[in-house]
Amino acid sequence: MITIDGLTKAYGPKIAISNVSFKVNRGEVLGFLGPNGAGKTTTMKIITSFMPPTSGHVSVMEYDTVKDSMKSRQCIGYLPENTPLYPDMRVKTFLKFVARAKGVKKVNMASRVNKVICEFGLEEVQNTVIATLSKGFRQRVGLAQALINDPPVLILDEPTIGLDPKQIYEIRQLIKDLSGSRTIILSSHILPEVSQLCDRVAIINKGKIVAIDRTQSLKARLQDHSSIIIKVGQRLEEALKIIEGVEGVLSVSSSNSSILNVETIKDRDLRPVMAEKIVGAGIPLLEIVRKEMSLEEIFMELITEEEGPDA
Amino acid sequence: MRSVYFKELSIYFSSPIFYVIASIFICISGIFFYNAMVYVSLLATKIAQYQMETGVDMNEVLLRPVFSDMSMLIVFIVPIISMRLYAEESSLGTIELLFTYPLSDLSVLVAKYLAGLTVLFCILAITSVLMALMAVIAVPDWGVVFSSYIGLVLMGGAILSLGVFASSLTKNQIIAAALTLGLVLGFWVIGWFAGAVPNTAASEFLQEISLISHLSRFLKGMVTIKDIVFYVCFSVFFLALTLRILDSHRWRG
Repeated sequence: MITIDGLTKAYGPKIAISNVSFKVNRGEVLGFLGPNGAGKTTTMKIITSFMPPTSGHVSVMEYDTVKDSMKSRQCIGYLPENTPLYPDMRVKTFLKFVARAKGVKKVNMASRVNKVICEFGLEEVQNTVIATLSKGFRQRVGLAQALINDPPVLILDEPTIGLDPKQIYEIRQLIKDLSGSRTIILSSHILPEVSQLCDRVAIINKGKIVAIDRTQSLKARLQDHSSIIIKVGQRLEEALKIIEGVEGVLSVSSSNSSILNVETIKDRDLRPVMAEKIVGAGIPLLEIVRKEMSLEEIFMELITEEEGPDA
Repeated sequence: MRSVYFKELSIYFSSPIFYVIASIFICISGIFFYNAMVYVSLLATKIAQYQMETGVDMNEVLLRPVFSDMSMLIVFIVPIISMRLYAEESSLGTIELLFTYPLSDLSVLVAKYLAGLTVLFCILAITSVLMALMAVIAVPDWGVVFSSYIGLVLMGGAILSLGVFASSLTKNQIIAAALTLGLVLGFWVIGWFAGAVPNTAASEFLQEISLISHLSRFLKGMVTIKDIVFYVCFSVFFLALTLRILDSHRWRG
């Protein structure tokens, strides 16, 4: 669906991205993660034909974004960072303009415009001047303009930035509804958002792709041991000794008077054994959970790994 | 192309820009018109008083001064019409929308230019009220009126192309307007130096690229191919230059 091949972009002597290559399949939601200035926006601007790459190719639905730019643009709905909109226009007038600009046929125009207005809950603000809209509504108008011609590909640059928690939730819900048949690339630096919404994650740092994989496999790949947290009612010292004795446990530490952090080998789930031993010793067991590595930790790990040799 | 054209018009007409510019233009041309009329009536009384046989040449004393004053106003007003065309898109970031929609740079440029021209045309159209007022007193030479309007639109179009060019260079609308005004005044006064240059070819060239010298014939009622071609080529040249600037912005990111 989207093929990015050896993409490099230099702004003068400054190289923004170098040799970025990946593919996004039909119907897939790809999360594009990276710290600020890593090259997320640059990559997205090249995919949307806003600017040409210094070298490399991007094709969207088999259309090259430089040679067949008009066709590839037709397939893409783009929500740029910070949602630029015309403040002096009314919502409906703006959406009609976008529909016309994207070549929506006159017969379908009214129905398309009304459809996105309904889909994004813009009925009450359709005759409002954009300048007076709240950030949440602006974001909806931004999504509506991207989707007005029902494109198969959506590129969203930081779609939830600057919104309040309720609006973030709503926009995420909207994005979730949009996935399915559509191919979506979504950039973000909010990591839980990416793990919630995306099938796959591409992590970019300093203009290079550091990792690209399914969220689950990324976690598995980086975790060389599993962490288990055990909470007991009393007799912590005793519990600590018992757990240390379990085969496969690498280390045990206690962070306060009731919690034990246990590191075990990766390929076996030791929870049943440990639970049995603690209960067998008559110690009240309150909780035993496996701690998953969060995307934040993966992210930090990859980025620091990458920075390691430089430092 | 039509989509961007209508979008630009809707922004001009839904924000105060048009109304402010148009009312200033019309008020000031009204004052100029009034002054010219006062002068005409003074002249007419004098002629009646001394029972002179010469008539009053309305073209000379009324139409030409009014239209040449209007051309001065156009010099100041077109930069304000044109300053937002690209600069505003860049500062709002909406240029990112416009350049990722399936529209070619050329069609966007032409649409923006035509929208600016339409605004200028509307403002000039309102001044036709003055001509109607004049017709109540004495029937003007409609040929001169029309040729003057054609000249003003063509010259306005040339200035507009400078304005679009300046607007594509910067994110700041004020800089765009100032730059346009500077360029226009430069092209306006360039003819004055024609006399100072000894080389006849160079002096003729300076004379010919002056924006004002081509207007004078229109104001006399002469519509010549040469002047039309000059204004059209001038506009096309600066629009083509704008296209190059937009292209280079893209490459530089």
